[in-house]
Amino acid sequence: MLARPEKELTVMIVDNEPARAAIVEQAMADSGYRVIRRLENAKNLTEAVNKYQPDMVIIDIESPDRDMLENMSRLTKDNPRPIVMFAEEDDSKHVEAAIRAGVSAYVVDGVNSGSVKALLQVAIARFREFQALRSELESVKSQLEDRKLIDKAKGLIMKHQKCDEPAAYQALRKLAMDRSQRMTDVARNIISVMELMGDAK
Amino acid sequence: MMINSTAILLNGGAPVRVGFIPLIDCAPFVIAHEKGFFKEEGVDVVLSKEASWASIRDKVAFNVLDGAHMLASMPIAATLGIGTIKTSMQTSFTVSHNGNGITIGNALYEQLQEFAQTPADIPSGLALKRLIDHRGEQLPPLRFAMVYPYSSHNYQLRDWLSRAGIDVDKDVQIIVVPPVKMVDSLKLGDIDGYCVGEPWNSLAVEQGVGHMLVTGYDIWGSTPEKVFGVNTLWAEQNPMVHFAMIRALEKACRWVDDPENKTELLNLLSQPDYLNCTVEQLVYGFGSVKPKGQFNWPMQAYQRFSGGDINKPLPSYALWIMAQMHRWQQLGHVESLNAIAEQVYRQDVYFEAFGLDKPVERTWCLSSQEEAIWLDSVASGKITLHPEGIQKGFVKSSPF
Repeated sequence: MLARPEKELTVMIVDNEPARAAIVEQAMADSGYRVIRRLENAKNLTEAVNKYQPDMVIIDIESPDRDMLENMSRLTKDNPRPIVMFAEEDDSKHVEAAIRAGVSAYVVDGVNSGSVKALLQVAIARFREFQALRSELESVKSQLEDRKLIDKAKGLIMKHQKCDEPAAYQALRKLAMDRSQRMTDVARNIISVMELMGDAK
Repeated sequence: MMINSTAILLNGGAPVRVGFIPLIDCAPFVIAHEKGFFKEEGVDVVLSKEASWASIRDKVAFNVLDGAHMLASMPIAATLGIGTIKTSMQTSFTVSHNGNGITIGNALYEQLQEFAQTPADIPSGLALKRLIDHRGEQLPPLRFAMVYPYSSHNYQLRDWLSRAGIDVDKDVQIIVVPPVKMVDSLKLGDIDGYCVGEPWNSLAVEQGVGHMLVTGYDIWGSTPEKVFGVNTLWAEQNPMVHFAMIRALEKACRWVDDPENKTELLNLLSQPDYLNCTVEQLVYGFGSVKPKGQFNWPMQAYQRFSGGDINKPLPSYALWIMAQMHRWQQLGHVESLNAIAEQVYRQDVYFEAFGLDKPVERTWCLSSQEEAIWLDSVASGKITLHPEGIQKGFVKSSPF
């Protein structure tokens, strides 16, 4: 699968998501690469790059500190340069995939391009995984919130109409169907109307 | 919000994806979107807030975005392949002129007093030159920040320093700091000064963190700051959509400059989707309101979005920028300066967007003799911008 590195490539990861950075680091270690430094933000990014001289810097594409690296890459030939500069014809798919996954990278001149590609693949895969996990988490969270809203609206209907829970639920469902709205939206409307009438407590 | 619901969408399926950086000069993009100007022109646009210029460049280059709020020099750098993969980008609409300034921290300002024979020695940089000579080489160099290596801020800062006789590459250190972090970095002493757009100069003055010395206008006259830059491939495939967006942006630029819209403008821009800040922080970004005392902005130095033909793309500015890139070792030789300038700063598209039956002006073109020595002549100061700015052209000292 992965090409064995010809020499040990050193990597620095800059990511404000510590969990994601940890996952990426582990994956890289598993593939035989050494992560020499993990930074949560770019405070002292310039100093860290100077000090540890990584062969490759992997940084969240949404980091405002990328422009610092852009400038560094101009100063001396030894500093890592944006990976897009290395995107030759056959590599451009690679770089495009990285950009879409939210990964950007800076690479020093003269390192093995097979290793760079392999590392980029690892980062892309983990970034995507993390994104999927996060979307899942968000959808679970919003489902929970929907449930809370519906419960609250049901309670209000029960109190107002002096009915039991199944009846309140049926009323809510009927309203939603009649208006072709989501149950959550109907629940939200009911709550706000009741609040307006001072009846939501 | 008035939206012409009968407008036929020019871009059938997918909306046009436009990136922006949360700075005050993204205002025309935000307004064209929020006030429905894009929709009125039949274009469905999705705005995408980006965190860095590098991100804008990469996403436009790799078609994750179709176009963006760009530094005026960005489409030139991308087309030439400077600092990135070579990707044709172009602009046919200048969004804004001016708005930059140079500010130094209080500590440096205090030190300069000693080296100023007249008060004018401070804004001219002469006092700074004397201080640097006096400091010698033992102390670490003074640090100045700008926002991006291929930006007016970098070139104006370097120009200002070097006019005072300072060797920019030896006597000082120039680094990149994102605009939102400028004032804090100055306060913490991480940097000694910076060149950045408003409101970050006025805010440093107001918070008593620094002293503003000059505006970008004092250095270069009125010059383009941000443009609507697009991937050339996209522009070629979607000419009607491109024209329509240019018209919408032009309308938005006039809206932004209309003082009657000020309150609404600041409210919209301050929203979390855009600059995500307080209205108070934005006040200094627009027009004549500036913090009291210390520095008097000349009226011509304010950021402008409309009027006086400023939205028209000027290939002569591309010539100027390429010479700046050459001056600061970002660019070696260019095969044909005229051709690149014309290819990146597309006046024909601008005229077509507004249905103007105008011949494309080619008075800006360099003769072949001029073309051969242009980069070096600008770099060595034989050619400078007209003091009022690029629209007035260049000042050429004989025997250019």
